[in-house]
Amino acid sequence: MPETVSYFLMAWTDPSLLLLTAAGTLAGIYVGALPGLSVTMATSILISFTFAWDINQALALIVGIYCGGVYGGSRTAILLNIPGAPSAVATSFDGYPLAQRGEVGQAIGLSTVMSVIGGLIGVLVLASVAPFLAEMSLQFAPRDYFLIAGLGLLLVGSLSAQSLARGIFAAALGGVIGLIGLDPVTAEPRFTLGFTNLMGGIHYVVVMIGMFGVAEALFQLHQLNAETVRQKVDRIVPSLNLVLKFLPLSIRTSIIGVIVGALPGTGGDIASLFAYDHAKRSVKNPAQPFGKGAYEGLVAPETANNAAVGGAYVPMLTLGMPGDAVTAIIIGALVIHGLNPGPMLMIQTPHIFWFTVGNLVLANLFLLIFGLTGIRIFARIVELPRAILIPTIMVLCVVGTYSLNSSMTEVYWMLGFGLVGYFMKIYGFQMGPVILGVILGPLMDKSYRQAMSSVGNDGTAFLLDLVTNPLSLILTSAVILLLLSNTPLRRVLSRRSR
Amino acid sequence: MSQEKLLKPGERTFNLLLLVLSAGVLYEAYQISGFDLLNAPGAFPLILGMIMIIAMLVILAEQRHRSGTATSGVGNAAKQFIQCCCPREMTVFTAMAIIYLALLHPLGFLPATILFLFLSQLYLRSGKMMASGIITIITTIVIYALFKIIFQVYLP
Amino acid sequence: MIRILLTGLAVMVGTLGITSETLADYPERNIEGIIQWGAGGATDNVARSLTPHVEKALDTDIVLNNRPGGTGVIGMNAVMHKPANGYTLLYGAENPQLYPVLDLASYDYSDMTPINIIGQGLVVIAAPADKDWDNLGDLLDYAHQHPGELRMGSTGKGGLPDTVLAMINSVDSLDVRNVTFGGDGPGITALLGGHIDFMPLSLAGAQEQIEAGRLKPLAVVAKEPVDALPDAPPITQALPEMESYLPWGPFWAVSVHKDTPDQIVKTLSEAYRKGVANREFQQFLKNNGAEPLNLQGEEARDFLKNWQSVTAWALENAGSAKVSPEELGIPKP
Repeated sequence: MPETVSYFLMAWTDPSLLLLTAAGTLAGIYVGALPGLSVTMATSILISFTFAWDINQALALIVGIYCGGVYGGSRTAILLNIPGAPSAVATSFDGYPLAQRGEVGQAIGLSTVMSVIGGLIGVLVLASVAPFLAEMSLQFAPRDYFLIAGLGLLLVGSLSAQSLARGIFAAALGGVIGLIGLDPVTAEPRFTLGFTNLMGGIHYVVVMIGMFGVAEALFQLHQLNAETVRQKVDRIVPSLNLVLKFLPLSIRTSIIGVIVGALPGTGGDIASLFAYDHAKRSVKNPAQPFGKGAYEGLVAPETANNAAVGGAYVPMLTLGMPGDAVTAIIIGALVIHGLNPGPMLMIQTPHIFWFTVGNLVLANLFLLIFGLTGIRIFARIVELPRAILIPTIMVLCVVGTYSLNSSMTEVYWMLGFGLVGYFMKIYGFQMGPVILGVILGPLMDKSYRQAMSSVGNDGTAFLLDLVTNPLSLILTSAVILLLLSNTPLRRVLSRRSR
Repeated sequence: MSQEKLLKPGERTFNLLLLVLSAGVLYEAYQISGFDLLNAPGAFPLILGMIMIIAMLVILAEQRHRSGTATSGVGNAAKQFIQCCCPREMTVFTAMAIIYLALLHPLGFLPATILFLFLSQLYLRSGKMMASGIITIITTIVIYALFKIIFQVYLP
Repeated sequence: MIRILLTGLAVMVGTLGITSETLADYPERNIEGIIQWGAGGATDNVARSLTPHVEKALDTDIVLNNRPGGTGVIGMNAVMHKPANGYTLLYGAENPQLYPVLDLASYDYSDMTPINIIGQGLVVIAAPADKDWDNLGDLLDYAHQHPGELRMGSTGKGGLPDTVLAMINSVDSLDVRNVTFGGDGPGITALLGGHIDFMPLSLAGAQEQIEAGRLKPLAVVAKEPVDALPDAPPITQALPEMESYLPWGPFWAVSVHKDTPDQIVKTLSEAYRKGVANREFQQFLKNNGAEPLNLQGEEARDFLKNWQSVTAWALENAGSAKVSPEELGIPKP
C-alpha cells in the first residue's frame, strides 16, 4: 500500500513536521520532568495556540509532547524522588534508590532505552490490531473497571515494604484523600468539612508532590552534612546484553501497558503500577531487591507507561473516543480544525491514522536521542550539596503545585501532605500505597456505583454479574487467585500459624 | 532495619493520632449518607474508614510487644522525639517554607523566592554568603525561565 | 524554537509588579479565562475555538485554564473570588442556573455580569444501534412495561441527562436506573459497549457515532426535525406536552465578576460580539449542531432568566428540585 507508506513517512519527510516533532519531544521531556506541568496542560495550551496552523503540524507537535512528557516524568522521579507525572510514580520506587547508589547515569540511560522499546511496542500494537483492541476495550463494563481497581489495590502487598498493616492503612488513607470533594453522582460533599475550596477535590498531583518531593526533601535534612554520592557516569547507554536481558520482561510489561492504556477508563499511571507489580512477581532474583534499586523495577513501569501512549491512541483513532485526558484534547483539536473524530475518521481521513503512527515512531526516535544526551549534567544535579538541593526542591514543588491551578490553597495542602508524609516515612509507612489509593480509590468508588446502578442496586445481581460474564469472570478469578496466592492472605495466615 | 524491635520516640503517639484521624474519617463518612453500603455516596468512605481503624489497631497491637526507648518523664521523651524526628534543621527549614508560602502573594514570586532560597541556604550551610547568593540567583533564573517564560505558567 | 513555540500566548514577559490599572487602558495585560469544565469537553472546545478570535479583537492574550469539579461550582467560585477588574473571565455552561434549585451553591449567573451568551446546543436522546426501539415512543412503551429496568447514562446531578430526564418525567413517567459517568465521553463509550441503554447527549458529542451507525437517535429535543440530524424525530412526536419547554438546550456563556466597571464590560462585550460573529467560529458551532446566539446585555440577562425559569420549574414538576423555585423567587414560565 504505497499510500499508507507515504502517510506513514509524512512526518519524516516534511522538514517542518520533522522539526515540530523534535521540538515537541524535547519540550515534552521538560513538561514531564517538571512536577505540576502536565502533558494534558501543555496540549490544551497548544490547542488555542495551533489554532491557525495546519492540523498535521498541530498533531505532530502534540505527539512529540505526549511521548516526551510520559518519558520525562521519570527524570525527576529518578533524580529527586519527585515523580514529574503520575505515570512515573512507580519509576521512583527503584529509580531513586539507584540514584542514591550513584547510578543516575545508568538509571536514566536504561529508562530511556526501555521507554523507547515500550513506546515502539505500543505503536506496533496500535498499527496492527487497533480496531480489534478498540472493540475489546468497549467490552469493559463498569463492573470490570471495579475488578481492575480491585486488582490494582492488591498491589499494596508488593508496595508495603515490611508492614502490611501499614500499607493497607496508607492505601485507605490515599483512598479517602482521593474521594474528597463533591460526589460525582449525587453532588453531595464528601470529607470537605464545609470548605468550598475542597469541593473540587484535591488534585492527586498535589498529594504526589507533597508526599514524594517535600517529604523526601525534609527527610534528607537528617543527613545534611553527609557526603553526597558520587555519580558514576562512565557508562550511560546500557549494553546490548543488559537490554537483551530485560527484553522478555519489557515485552510483557509493554503489552500490559498498551492494553491498560487502550481502556478508556485507565491510563499510564495505572499501567505502570501494574507493570511494576508484574515485575516484582515474575522476577525472582533481581540483582538488587525491589525497592532498593532493582533495574527490573525501573524497566517495568517505564516500558508500560510509554506503551500506554500507543494504547491511548487506539480508541481515539478507531472510534473517536478518548483513551485518556490527552487524547480527549486531541479529539478537541481535530474538532476545532474541522475534522470529525469518530468511527468514520479512518475512512474519511485515512491519512490521520498512518500519519500518527509514523509520527509516534519518529517521536520515539527523537526520545532516544534527546533522552541519552545531557545525562551527565543531570547527574551533576544530584551531586550538589543537600543544603543547596533541598531548598531548590522546595521551590520546585511550590511552583509546580501552583502551576496546576494557580491556587495558593493547593500549595499549602502540598506542604501539609509533605509534613504528614515526612512523619509517616519516619514511622515506617510507605508512600507508594498512598498514591495507589489516591489513584485507584475514586476509580473503584465510581465503577462500583455504576455497576450497582446498572443492576438496580441489587447486591445479588451485582455479584452474579461478576461471575457470569466471561470477561468479568476472568478478572474475578484473577482477583481471587492473587488474593490466595499472594502475600497478603498468605502472610496473615502464616503469621497465625506461627 | 536493626531497630525493628524498638519503637521510635513518638511512634505510639503518632499512631494514636492516626487512629483519631481514622475515627474522624469514619465519623465524616457516616455523615455523608448514614450507614448504607449498597450504593450510596458514603459507602466507600465508610469502608475506607473502617479499614483505616482496623489496620491501625493491628499496628498498635503489634507494637504492644515492642518496647519504646527507655525514657523517664515527659521532658525526656520530648527531647528524644526532637532528636530523632524533628532535628532543628528540619523545624527551622519547615518554618522558613511556611513563611515563604505566606510571603509569595504579598511580595510576588521573584522577591519571595530569592529571599527564601538565600536565607535557607545560608542557614543550612551555616555561612558562605557569596556562594549561596550566586546559587540563589542562578536557580531562581532557571526556575523562572522554565515555568514562566517557556511554559507560560501563572506565577504568584 | 521551543521557546517561540510555547510562547504562543505570548505574555509581556516579566509583568510581575502590579501596575496601576486605569480603566481607559483596559486591557493592558493578560486576561485569565477560567473554564468550568475539563479539557476536551464541549465547553472547553467552544472556549478554545472562540478565544483566538476574541484575542484579536481585544489585542491581548487570554490564558485559558480548566478548573473543573463539582458540576462547575469550583470554576465559578474561583472567578467570583477574584478582583472585579475584568482580568478574570468565566467560560461556563448552563449548569450555574440550576445550582440554587439543586442546592449545589447559593449563587447563579444573576450573581455575575454576562458578557456573551455564545450559543445553544441541541440535545439528542441516543441508544446503541442494536436496541429494539427506534424512537422515544418505543422506549417509553418499554419503560412503562418494565419500570426501573432501563439503564440511562447520566453525568451526575445538574448534568444534562438528569435535566432532560426530569423534563420528560414532568410530562410522562420514565422510571430508569441512573448510571453516572464522568461526562459525555465515558457515557458514549459505555453506550457503544452496550453497558447502558440510552443517554441524552449534546448533539456535538454524539453526531459522529450516529452518522457511523453505531448509535441511533431516538429523538432530538426540539419542536421540528433539525438539519444536522434530519432523520431523528423531534421529541414532541412522542411527548407533545414537551412543546412548552422548547426551544431548550444547554448553552455556553462568558461572564465576569458582578462589580466589574461598566467600561470594561463594554469593551469585553464588544470584543466577544466580534469574536462570536466570526465566520470560522460560526461554522464551528454549525458543525457541532449548535445554534449561535451571540447575546449581550439585557438580551443575555433575559435569556438566562427565561432558561432558568423553564428548567427549574420542569425539575420542580418532576420532583427533582431540592429547593423549590418558588422559594428562590424564580418565576413560573
